[in-house]
Amino acid sequence: MTRPIGTPGRASWKEEAVGMVLGLVVLALLPFLFTDTYSRHVLIMVFIYAVVASNWDLSLGYGGVFNFGHLALFGIGVYAYGLLTKLAGLDPWLALVASGIVATAAAILVTIPILRLKGIYIILVTFGFAQLVMQVILSQSDYTGGTQGMVRIPGLYWFDHNMVRDGKFAYFFLALGLLAASTLFLRVIVRSRIGAGIVALRDNEEYAIARGISLVRQRMITLAASAFFTGMAGAFYAAYQRNASIDVFGMSLATIILSMVLLGGTSTIYGAIIASFVLTVFAELMADFGAWRPIITALLIIVVMLAYPTGLAGLIRAGWAATAGRLRRAAPAARPARTG
Amino acid sequence: MGASAEILFGGLFQGSLYAMMAVGLALVWTTIGVFNFSHGVFMMLGAYLAWQFLDIGLPLPVVLPLAVVAMAAIGWLLQASVVRPLIGRPNIVLVVVITTLAAASLIENGVLELWGPRSKQIPPLLEGNTTIGGVGVSLHQIAIIVITPIILAALWLFLNRTRLGLALRAVAQNEDASLLVGLNVTALYGLAFAIAAALAALAGIFLGGYRFMSPVMGADPLLKALIVVVFGGISSISGPIFAAYLIGFFEAASNYYFGLYWTPALLFAVLILTLMVRPEGMFVRSSRSLA
Repeated sequence: MTRPIGTPGRASWKEEAVGMVLGLVVLALLPFLFTDTYSRHVLIMVFIYAVVASNWDLSLGYGGVFNFGHLALFGIGVYAYGLLTKLAGLDPWLALVASGIVATAAAILVTIPILRLKGIYIILVTFGFAQLVMQVILSQSDYTGGTQGMVRIPGLYWFDHNMVRDGKFAYFFLALGLLAASTLFLRVIVRSRIGAGIVALRDNEEYAIARGISLVRQRMITLAASAFFTGMAGAFYAAYQRNASIDVFGMSLATIILSMVLLGGTSTIYGAIIASFVLTVFAELMADFGAWRPIITALLIIVVMLAYPTGLAGLIRAGWAATAGRLRRAAPAARPARTG
Repeated sequence: MGASAEILFGGLFQGSLYAMMAVGLALVWTTIGVFNFSHGVFMMLGAYLAWQFLDIGLPLPVVLPLAVVAMAAIGWLLQASVVRPLIGRPNIVLVVVITTLAAASLIENGVLELWGPRSKQIPPLLEGNTTIGGVGVSLHQIAIIVITPIILAALWLFLNRTRLGLALRAVAQNEDASLLVGLNVTALYGLAFAIAAALAALAGIFLGGYRFMSPVMGADPLLKALIVVVFGGISSISGPIFAAYLIGFFEAASNYYFGLYWTPALLFAVLILTLMVRPEGMFVRSSRSLA
């Protein structure tokens, strides 16, 4: 009954489920604590970023596939929702799910050219893919509004509930629901046999292939799985903001989300969620600093990456291990050493 | 005559700028094995430094080497602060992407704070215009078209004919063996970054004498340089140079026939197709690994 030390996803199912439910309850209580619209807005943005970042962790952290087009999948979700609701007149809820499916299809498409590639070349192609998508959206300005973006996109509805005048109460819970569904989905994947295969390909590709794992199928699954909730998050973002802008393809958003993934610590899923919270709240707290805000954020990212290569998750884990170690030393008789 | 002259000229001019940028990227990649996303910012900062030196009254012939040397120093410094400490980490490629991106954001916003958002311009290398084959061109552009191959040839000679250049290539080929024969590998890492930054600065000064400068002026050249190195193969110096001119011509032709709007999309489509057929690049005979 030894557990590999430091291997993520090795807590028992029950422990993790309890932790997840507890986390969800705490988050669900937040809007009763913060009743002002601004705080709730910040939290909604945290949840959206957390979905995007944690899904990126699946391909980047677990899969080792440097998909730099991840934000393009988010952008595809934004524009798919805008086009489907505004031009095709689709029901917002149907469009939300459809946007996730569109993003998944795009992810499968981008997997084809990177099947033969590794490392830096994947970065370059996926980066190119993101630029290609952006250029196409810009050039089809009759539908997408080009650089002007799309405005007055229909929002989501909830029976007869007034979504606009409830202090963002309903949107908060919808965003939380999205994050909960996405996190559950990701954790189930990474703990399953599929997840083990994804990690095996990352750690030792030749050996994994020799043991019968299909690189092609597994890479497609990895990217497709990371795309669905990312696209949904994009659609949700569009529904929440009621507009779509080409900025979602910009370098600055990609840098922030990527730093959430790396700052949180890769291959944990939870790390990315925690880092989304920390970075977003941090950025909001520094709103008064104006132009200095991006400078301070960049410095923070560099310092953390240099000092804590495993990110915040590594920091928390190290702190936990130290505390647990101290407790164990304090009561040596209570826990006889296990063998085997 | 007009069309072909325009495409030829435009291709040579753009190709020269892309070559200067791409060579620096490739040099850092081959030597250290990381991708420097602050390369575009190097270009921008070089141009702004030159503008600043000119503003305090120094003449252009003094400013040019001064700005280039200053940028080389900044490149070295950046390498020492955000790249060198990470060497040896298993996920170095990824972490360096984020640290250089963060450094780029830092420098970009710093420049914005320091020099303000108003566009600036550097005087051209040579004043005046002329007409070649029915196309009006500035002497500044001609100067760039002539100077760039000389600089690239000098770089090639340095890498192939001098001890220091050979040492740099040795590190690129086998780091452990380089350490064994007593090469100062960390210093050579710094040198690769310094040369790359100097070349980027030169490209920035060239561009600043032709277009208005802004803190984000390096973003597009960096993107193009990325395409160039992918297209030409990243593990050599000559591949990206050929590819730079090829992409320059492609862009000029596409601008002429399909218009400015579709050119980037076409370019990226070509890039993705290239990688599907020849992942190692067009001008590389074979590569040891693609990792």
